[in-house]
Amino acid sequence: MSGEPSIFFADVNERQGSFLRRTFVFGGLTGLGVAALIGRLAQLQVVQAQEYATLSSQNQFNFRMVPPPRGLIKDRNGVVIAGNRPSFRVLVVRDETKDLDQTLDLLGRLLPDTLERRRAIIRDVNASSKFNPVPVKSDLTWEEFAKVNLYANELPGVMADMNDARYYPFGGSFAHVIGYVAKVNDRDIKAIRDKGETPPPLLFNPSFRIGRQGVEKALDAALRGEPGGNRVEVDARGRVVAEDVGGSRPAVPGQEVVLTLDADVQNRALEVFGEESGACVVMDVRNGDILAMTSAPSFDPNLFVGGVPSSVYRALADYERRPLTDKALAGTFAPGSTFKPVVGLAALKRGGDPNRRIVCNGSYYLGRRFACLGRHGSLDMRGAIKNSCNVYFMTLAVEMGPDAIAETARELGFGQTFDIGVSGQKPGLVPDRKWRRENPVRGDGKWYPGETPSYGIGQGALTVNALQLAVYASRLANGRKAVMPRLIKSIGGVEQGADRIFADLPYDPAFGQVMREGMEAVTDVGGTGFRNSQLGLGDIRMAGKTGTAQAQNYGAGSRKGAGRPWAQKDHNLFIAFAPADNPRYAVSVIVQHGGMGGGTAGAPRAREVMKVALLKDPEMRARMERPPAPDPVEPTSLDEPSVVAEATPQPLGAEPPLPSTEPR
Amino acid sequence: MTASALSRPGERERVSTKISQIDWRLLLLICAVGGAGAMMLYSVGGGSWSPWAAKHLMRFGFCLVLMLGLSMINIRYWFGLAYPIYGLALFLLALVETPLGYTALGATRWLDLGVTRIQPSEIMKIGVVLALARWYHGASAQEASFHWKLIVPVAIIGLPFILVAHQPDLGSAMLIGLTGAAIMFMAGLNWKIIAAVAAVAIVAVPPYVMFGMHDYQRHRVLTFLNPEADMADKGYQIVQSKIAMGSGGLLGKGFGLGSQSQLEFLPERHTDFIFAAFAEEFGFVGTFFLLTAYAAIILISLRIASLSHSHFGRLAASGVIATFAMYVLINGAMVMGLAPVVGVPMPLLSNGGTVMLTVMIGFGLVMATRVHRYAELPKGHGLI
Repeated sequence: MSGEPSIFFADVNERQGSFLRRTFVFGGLTGLGVAALIGRLAQLQVVQAQEYATLSSQNQFNFRMVPPPRGLIKDRNGVVIAGNRPSFRVLVVRDETKDLDQTLDLLGRLLPDTLERRRAIIRDVNASSKFNPVPVKSDLTWEEFAKVNLYANELPGVMADMNDARYYPFGGSFAHVIGYVAKVNDRDIKAIRDKGETPPPLLFNPSFRIGRQGVEKALDAALRGEPGGNRVEVDARGRVVAEDVGGSRPAVPGQEVVLTLDADVQNRALEVFGEESGACVVMDVRNGDILAMTSAPSFDPNLFVGGVPSSVYRALADYERRPLTDKALAGTFAPGSTFKPVVGLAALKRGGDPNRRIVCNGSYYLGRRFACLGRHGSLDMRGAIKNSCNVYFMTLAVEMGPDAIAETARELGFGQTFDIGVSGQKPGLVPDRKWRRENPVRGDGKWYPGETPSYGIGQGALTVNALQLAVYASRLANGRKAVMPRLIKSIGGVEQGADRIFADLPYDPAFGQVMREGMEAVTDVGGTGFRNSQLGLGDIRMAGKTGTAQAQNYGAGSRKGAGRPWAQKDHNLFIAFAPADNPRYAVSVIVQHGGMGGGTAGAPRAREVMKVALLKDPEMRARMERPPAPDPVEPTSLDEPSVVAEATPQPLGAEPPLPSTEPR
Repeated sequence: MTASALSRPGERERVSTKISQIDWRLLLLICAVGGAGAMMLYSVGGGSWSPWAAKHLMRFGFCLVLMLGLSMINIRYWFGLAYPIYGLALFLLALVETPLGYTALGATRWLDLGVTRIQPSEIMKIGVVLALARWYHGASAQEASFHWKLIVPVAIIGLPFILVAHQPDLGSAMLIGLTGAAIMFMAGLNWKIIAAVAAVAIVAVPPYVMFGMHDYQRHRVLTFLNPEADMADKGYQIVQSKIAMGSGGLLGKGFGLGSQSQLEFLPERHTDFIFAAFAEEFGFVGTFFLLTAYAAIILISLRIASLSHSHFGRLAASGVIATFAMYVLINGAMVMGLAPVVGVPMPLLSNGGTVMLTVMIGFGLVMATRVHRYAELPKGHGLI
């Protein structure tokens, strides 16, 4: 082969011809490939363009939640008792900080207290998604806010803005009844999940607060409102690039809740307790509206809005006078002598005679000696109430037995909870034979006669709360209707419970009249509550009943509270209504460990609160300012056809100048 | 007539004659696509020359000069250097396997020369074409069609393919293999062999995917078959790419206004997925013209190849353009969700230096083939 040309001409031509054919095929295939790509593009960009445009804008646009302003809570006269105020706050976005530690160091120089909470802040920031702003500190002063803004360039990822924070202008006055709002915690989320529901996304918004107690908790759904959305343009990392004003949806504010409370009465009710512990409830005896419901001592609910420091919380929780407990609803005490009208009514219902006289010689014997506070001699029922004679009511109680007393006690409001829209009520206990069978002490579940005399003077197993006492006082004062308490006046402008119809009290109104006369005598010359029950408001007088409840069993003969430690003193109770001749308001006061004799600690507080309630009532005011009538006015209340029918809300005129408490 | 000047052997070597023989249509199309690349890089860089657009343009300018320079070189020298270049590339590829190889991102593809790092697989893309053209130049039609000597071109393709696939760089290996196959096809491979190989490939690929591939490669293939199954990574890329292109619609969102690319939803928007960014901003009209330009570049180059008087010139020019065509088709199919995500960029459009250099050297070779289409090359199987 060597020397010979390896390729001949014909072969070369064949090779070239083959190449040209094959190149043509290759070019054709490439062209087909490109045509296929163009076809695919036509499918994507022309046929499916709309679909992909939607997907693209879903990528591009995002809704940023705008939390709704929480609904206001107002008192019966429109005074805001839970509102919103602007709050400056500082937020940190992890994705935009170069170095979180360094940023917090710098921030700590501007806001020294963030250094103390540094570990909690780092935990919060790391728990949140990278581009989500995490509030680091709220309620900045203007100076702090300005400083953070001034150094904004040196603090990448730190921003300061303004949001709404819940505000309780009266501080502790309404703390228990309104409750407070606080940050959503894992337990809230879990509770919703356990119910098989998905928690709304609003709950995960860092500035959202959930109702924790009282009205804030009970009406959380109504107060919450509907979150709005800001349509924002985001990049692939979720950072906001621009805002689209046209695509935004405003938040729907929460509904306004109006309560039956009166801020002036409520404030006064807390004020009169001072450092004492206890509860006070004021009710309108005609329609059951609660004008005040106070538990003392109280706490500042504003502390809880931003997250209460644990040291403060511990101090509140550990204080022996239990400021965090709502004593008006959840504090149950023996009613003591305030219970005696129940026993009297029970006896009258069973055919007893109010004029029957029983001789008190200082003691009642049934197996053992039961002491009376004095030797009252011969008394009828009115006199027995006036002097709070134990012997009289022990006698009646033993004659009737426990079941008759329990029946009347329940009719008057004890041993039950009321639907006032908030939770946390304790029903207390109205003992009877059935209860004893179910809760035997000595094994046989038998009611021993020796228990009955104590029952007759409101002691023993019997316990009641302040709201029940107020309902009881209202029903006594009303005389005809079993009024039910009402706290929520309206939600979002819709009147609540306006159509309620109260049942008639199941006894002759004349029996109630006997009790009222007895209670009027209590606050009159010689009565147990005389000294501290004088209103000094013209001819308007207050009728009431004192009570003392043993806090523990003392040795015989040493019941005087003086000199005892606080926790061993007796509870001091007082119920009252006014005006005595035409009752309008009822009040109950419990002073925990207030010492012996309802006239000493309870009555003066009831009097002060009652005075405010009466002064705020234009009709009462007119009556006070009227020149004194020559003759004492006859009691007329029972002759009116129906006291409930009058119970329509009356428009208040110009607010009377009152020595009202300033908002704290 | 320039043709007559070229036909007079004495004037062929004049630079002015050579310059007049440059295919201006091809040059213009290449510049248009390269310019479109710079424009897109400006857009996805957030409307800024940095970090990509300015560099891309500088690189393109340099490569353009290089391409024109190479087109002045007589293909006789290409012919002479064909085997040495291939041998050097093979040597460097083997060197990558030694400790001199530089590893990044789990693959050893680079050779660290101290001053700079080079990627021998890129040199090999040219080397394979030259070596095959050189071998077929000396082979008869019979030998090219169906002959035991075909073992030689198979070896020329197979050795670098194995070395590159081992790095692992499946994209480059595939390009080398497909380019080699295209040259064998155009050189006149027997249809029976083609049919047999196709049959074997169809049978062998699924088991290879399941057992022969690296995990990440298999993952890519499986993701391609079902992109929504892996929204976090590779599937996300395909889905976002399709959203970008589809939302561009007929006329596009406008220059610099593509939300998918501007807001960084589109991954690798400056490299492998730049075509999707282009499609989003210029719509179907824009992509139609761009793909037409690519097709025109390929067809003009094939025409240039077919005009060469030497078999070496024909096969070298058509070989490099086959590589270019593979780039375009594979990247296009990948971006549109028609092929698995393999790291193959869109030539001239994507940001990246090595591919640009390889492609432009290839165009230099195509231009040289046109300028020197009458060049006489020695016959036979000589080494040089």
